[in-house]
Formats: sequence, structure tokens, C-alpha cells
Amino acid sequence: MAVFLQSLISGILIGGVYALIGIGLTLIFGVMRVVNFAHGDIMMVGMYLTYLLFTILGIDPFVSVLISFPLMFLFGGFLQKTFINRVLSAVAQNQILLTIGLGLVMSNTVMLIFTSDYKILTTSYSSSTIQVGGGVSISTPLLISFLITAAITAALGWFLLKTDTGQAIRATSQDRDAAQLMGINVKRMSIIAFGLGSALAGTAGALISPTYYIFPQVGGVFTLKAFVITVLGGMGSVVGATLGGVLIGITESMSAVYISSGWKDVVVFVLFLLVLLFKPSGLMGKSRT
Amino acid sequence: MRKHLLALGATLALSPCLLAQKIGVINSMSGPEAPIGENITNGIKLAEEDLKKKGINLQLVWEDDTGKPQISMSAMEKLATRDNVVGVVGPYTSACSNAVAKLAEKYRVPLLIPAAAKEEITRQGLKHVFRMNAPADQYASSLIDAAVSLGKPKTIAFVYENTDFGTSTTKTAKDYVAKKGIQVVADEPYPKGAADYRSTLAKVKSKNPDLVFMVSYVADAILLMRQSKEVGLQPQAFLGAGAGFTTVEFAKERAISESVISCTQWTNDVNWPGAKEFGARYKAKFGKEPTYHAACAYASMVIMAETARNAGGDRAKTREGLKNGKWNGVMGEVKFADYDGFTNQNNHQMLVQQILSGSYETVLPSQFATKKAVYPFPKWK
Repeated sequence: MAVFLQSLISGILIGGVYALIGIGLTLIFGVMRVVNFAHGDIMMVGMYLTYLLFTILGIDPFVSVLISFPLMFLFGGFLQKTFINRVLSAVAQNQILLTIGLGLVMSNTVMLIFTSDYKILTTSYSSSTIQVGGGVSISTPLLISFLITAAITAALGWFLLKTDTGQAIRATSQDRDAAQLMGINVKRMSIIAFGLGSALAGTAGALISPTYYIFPQVGGVFTLKAFVITVLGGMGSVVGATLGGVLIGITESMSAVYISSGWKDVVVFVLFLLVLLFKPSGLMGKSRT
Repeated sequence: MRKHLLALGATLALSPCLLAQKIGVINSMSGPEAPIGENITNGIKLAEEDLKKKGINLQLVWEDDTGKPQISMSAMEKLATRDNVVGVVGPYTSACSNAVAKLAEKYRVPLLIPAAAKEEITRQGLKHVFRMNAPADQYASSLIDAAVSLGKPKTIAFVYENTDFGTSTTKTAKDYVAKKGIQVVADEPYPKGAADYRSTLAKVKSKNPDLVFMVSYVADAILLMRQSKEVGLQPQAFLGAGAGFTTVEFAKERAISESVISCTQWTNDVNWPGAKEFGARYKAKFGKEPTYHAACAYASMVIMAETARNAGGDRAKTREGLKNGKWNGVMGEVKFADYDGFTNQNNHQMLVQQILSGSYETVLPSQFATKKAVYPFPKWK
């Protein structure tokens, strides 16, 4: 029972961070219909930003979110304005090539600056835990990052539902042409959406850095994860991405315990295929005709 | 003028010692294995310096395999056919070395592998493949022997990455513990680079093993130990098989690395000729402590270059030279022998070390020991 609870808890907590990565990707896709293959690399940039803030200025990784969120927003907005906007009406292959290229430039630039050495952030709480009883423990940094994720997701939900800009973003994602006819500046909405997506990816990077390691190629792993989460939840659905992230976290964790750690990726992908088979638009997705 | 040139040419042709020895190096200089690859690169650079001082004219052809076997193989093809090297030192990882070994045999190029552990590499009767380091079975047996001599472990759990290095080391370890009467209670291969090992470790904890045996590269070693602490895994000993558990980065994480036992091919406190000086010079030049990979690479390059020089740059003669030679240097006595199904394998003495007060101390075998081992593993704070 302790093993079950332990793996359920860590699955949910790590799933929260996965969700944050997925939400960023789904937001970008929803508004622009561009699949962002550089998403994991944007997250990696966020990790290095956190690392710099921690080692040079001594800012705690969780506090540094306050700085990295706006910086990553500007970075994403810049990417959108200078690169992505140009290919919005291009064929899908070109968009894919562009984002893959951007990702390569990011990871190799970082490698030139920081070398390919693994960087490990060691904070006073990096391996501390809260004992829940019954032999079950919760990782403190993971719990904090889960709470921050939850707060950010709630704030994002409020922003998208209640504010004018949020509604304009949603309108753009529902129908770009109609939104433009209604007087919404879709180009600006795209920049905001890409900025938000990047900021969320960067934040996920910041949140995971006290418990994970940082190296220039780390993005690849998470790009793949973000895709599975987004497609599983339904492309473009924020709720779906949240659900998908937590679901994948739990599946990974449970299959590591009850099947084998070596097989957990297989289980995740089988689950993914099953969802695609029976609900091709994803869990929360609506099929678009 | 022409006469002079001819004379010069004739002298050069007649004295192969004056010609540059063209030797290939394949290493993981970028990619995920680059942090350890860097040690190999630096070790070879030091060897190059020393060989120049000895008057050996060396021309190294560097190839970066980024840790991928397919790139490693094309590098070998290039070195063997286009660059026409006398011999090759490298690659680093087991997967790359195993792939390249067969090519070396095909092109009849002497290949000296400095630090790859997978046993099969020198167990397939390849005549041109030589290995400096002790293979994976030695990692396992020396660690388990150490644990048995220190306490009375009855059960063991394995946690290892599902790569050539991880599975090969664990397979021999399982055979070895079976002989020693230790029961395997958990067997957990994991995909490298996952973010969360907590559930796996919680499962291992529920089996309450006396020994936890881990095989992983650098960053995962830290992650695994951090999360072991989180879930409160408390065996008599954590045994780390080489690689990630023998790095300075790992030792620096004092909250989780203290008292972890690991094994290594080399430390700078052994009495092998030049080992101490090598460690000091390395640190002075590169600003970090060398890992065993650096010493293995250094010794490999020195042996390869000297043998190639003596063979006059001839591949077949170089192979003979490696096969029949005997050396004594920073890696202790080196001889490429055939034994237990191995071919051209240096029967190297492994060292067991433990992290005590934040630094690696040799604890076994006793003639090399610098400190007494701490056993069992102290309670997590």
C-alpha cells in the first residue's frame, strides 16, 4: 500500500510539471496552428536562466520564476514576431522545419556558451522530504513546484476566461479569420500566445531544475513528452493538457512499479495509441471539420 | 638542390622514427556523454605532450562520435581508409566500442579501447581489438566481494540504465551473486534521462534489500541517490558501478554521496609509476580532478604511440607489438592477454573506493587502501 501511495503521489506531482509544459504547447498550437518543435528547447533556455540567476545572483529557483516568466515571455514574443509570423500561412512542413531549426540554434548556442557539462542545482531543500506517515514521503521541491504550477494554471484560466485579451486569444484560437473580422488584432494575439507558451515552458524548466539536471540537449526529451501530453489531452485544449500531463505522470509512475521501469515508456505510448484509436481528437478535444 | 631533396627523402624513408605516427582518436566530445569524454580528450592531450618530449612525432586525427554508435562507425571507416592511421585509441562508450571493434577487425587496424566496460567487446576473438580497462564483470565482482568482506549481505537489488553498459554489468553481477548465495530481490532497468525514479526506488525499498547495486552515468547517479534519500531507501551499502559514481560532480553532492561505495580503474593515490604525478599535472593543466577515464586514455595513447613508432608505422607489426608487449605506467602493469574467453584484454586490478568526508578514498584491496571502509551505510539524516 505504501508503494502504491508513494508512486501515486510522485506521479501526480511530476505530472503537474508535465502539464505546465503541455499547456504552453497547446496554447501556441491553439492560436497559431503551428506545432512548436522548439518547445523543449525553450524550456531548456528557461532552465539555464534559472541556473544563471541561482549561481550568479543567488536567487532561489522558485523565486526566480518571477524574473524568468516575464523574460521568457519577451523571448517567446520575439521569436513569434521575427520568425513564426512569417510562416503562419506557409505549408506545415516549413513551419516544422523552422521550429526544429530554432530549437537546434538554441541548444547549440547554449552548448557553445556553457559547454555540454551537466549542471546540477543544489539547494538546501533539493533532497528534503515531508514524511506523511506509513513510510510515504513527499519530495519538498516537487510539492512546491506542483503548488506553483497549480497557481499558474488557475491564473492562466482566469486570464483566458475573464480578461478581454484572454477572450481575444480564445476567439483567435476558435476562428482566426472571424476574429480578425471582429476587429481583433490577431497578430498581436499570436505574439501574446507564443510569449505565454514560452513563459510557461520556461517556468516548467525553472520548477524542475532543483530536482533534475540541466544540459543543452535536455529539450528533446521534453518536446516529445509535451507532444504526447498535448495530443492526448486534445490539441489546443488547456484543460486537456492539464489532464494529459497528470495522467502521463501517474501512468509512468505506476507502470514503473507494477510492470517494470524499463517498460514505462512503452506503457505510456500504448495508452497514447489507445486514446488516438478510440478518441482521435484527444480526451478533451473537439474534432474540427 | 634536387640531390639534397632526394637525400632528405631517402633519410626520411629509411628512418621511420622521424616520420609522424598517424594515430586516430574516436571519442564522445559532444553529446550527452561529453562530460566523461572530456576526461579522455584531456588524458590524450597530456600523453601527446609527454610523447613529444620523448621525441615521438605524433599526428593525431580526432573524431567526435557524439556518443552514437553509427557516427563512431563512420569515423572508424574514415580513419582506416582515408586517413590511413596506424592505430586507433577509443571510443568511449560500450555501445560505440562494440560497434567499432568489428570494423577494426575488418580493416585490420589495431584498436585500443581505453575505458569501455561491456565484456563482449574483447570476448569475440577479435585479433585487432585491445582493451586497457577491466571489463564489466570485474566491476561487479570487485564490488560484491568488497560488500561480502565488510558485512553479511543476504539480499541485493539492482537498479541500472537499460544500455549496453548497464545491462552487461548487471548480467554478470547477477551471475556472480548467485555463486555467492546472495538473493536478487529487485531487478529494475530504467530508461536513461527520466525525471522521476521515486516510484522505482519505493518499490525497491519495499523489498528491503541489504545491498543496492546501481549502474548509471553521471547525472542519473546524483538523481538516483537524491531520490533514494527522499523515499528513505536504507540498505547496508549502496554500490555504484563506475561511471557516474566515480565523478567529482557526484562526490561534491555531499548530502547524498557520502559513504557510497564504488569501484574504479584508477585513483591518484595508488603506487603505480607516475600515477600521482599524472593526477597533479592533470589538475594543474585542466583545473579539475581527473577521472579514471583520463588515466586509461593517457596510458592507452602512450602505449599505442610507442608501439606504432617501434613498428615503423606498420599496422600488422603494431598489432604484434601490442600483443607481445608489456608496460608499467600510470595504470600499473599492462599486458594484453588471452584468458577466460577474453582476447587481448589487460587483466587490470580494480580498486574499490568510498566517498568519505567528500572525497574518494581507496578502501580495498588492502595494499592500496588509504582509509578504512564505513559499513553499514549510515542512517539518512
